[in-house]
Amino acid sequence: MSNPLNNSMDLSFPSELGYEVIARDAVSAFARRLGLSAERVEDLKTALSEACINAIEHGNSLRPDLRVFIHCHLEPDRLVIEVIDQGATEFVARDNVLSISEKIAGLGSLRGMGLMLISQLCDESSFVPGPEGNCMRLAFSR
Amino acid sequence: MMLEDELTVSTRERDGVAIIDLVGDVTTFAEEKINAAYREVTNNGARFVLLNFRQNDYINSAGIAILIGIVTEVNRNNQKLAVSGLSQHFQKIFRMVGLAQYAEIYQNEDEALVGLQKG
Repeated sequence: MSNPLNNSMDLSFPSELGYEVIARDAVSAFARRLGLSAERVEDLKTALSEACINAIEHGNSLRPDLRVFIHCHLEPDRLVIEVIDQGATEFVARDNVLSISEKIAGLGSLRGMGLMLISQLCDESSFVPGPEGNCMRLAFSR
Repeated sequence: MMLEDELTVSTRERDGVAIIDLVGDVTTFAEEKINAAYREVTNNGARFVLLNFRQNDYINSAGIAILIGIVTEVNRNNQKLAVSGLSQHFQKIFRMVGLAQYAEIYQNEDEALVGLQKG
């Protein structure tokens, strides 16, 4: 991996829960080789899993005929990971994410913690226009 | 391709605490097993419940949602809940999502047994 042009990796998998673990293991091995600390790799594993689950469940609406694509590349001081779905459902940001106390009080779904975890675990996270669907970009400083 | 996670859930009692051992990954596939174990210890009259995690390489937001559901039931049933055995990373995750407000986090089972009955 001495050639900077080689510091990138692409994966794709069907929209089926469980594949995010395989993607997570591959990308975390890549991140370790690029010098991320053990603690940051743990953060990456959780954030990437959540981004993949979001793409599988929401972006691709759990359709196994659609695929999730992951592109990773190294910038001078950070690792950037893009998780791209095929856009069966367009991502719409929600303003009112429920707190855990509101969830326990029965005010909404118990799910929905994934995006909050992503935003807290990455140095940068955002949705950017994707080629045919949603693209979530995650960045981790080295 | 079947990609369900392997999670083993079992229950036992020690020093007046109902312990639910969770060995493996805690994801959406864990819901039935965890809820069944909680119902079992509650039907047996548990006042103190300890979720004892082991070999948990993967706890995701769907797994966390299951645990929030357990917290809801624990509050409803006037029980006390604690967790033990989590890695440093997942202790951090539990704090981030707010679970630590509702379940004291202990490093291991022995510490949890002492702490649960003290408070």
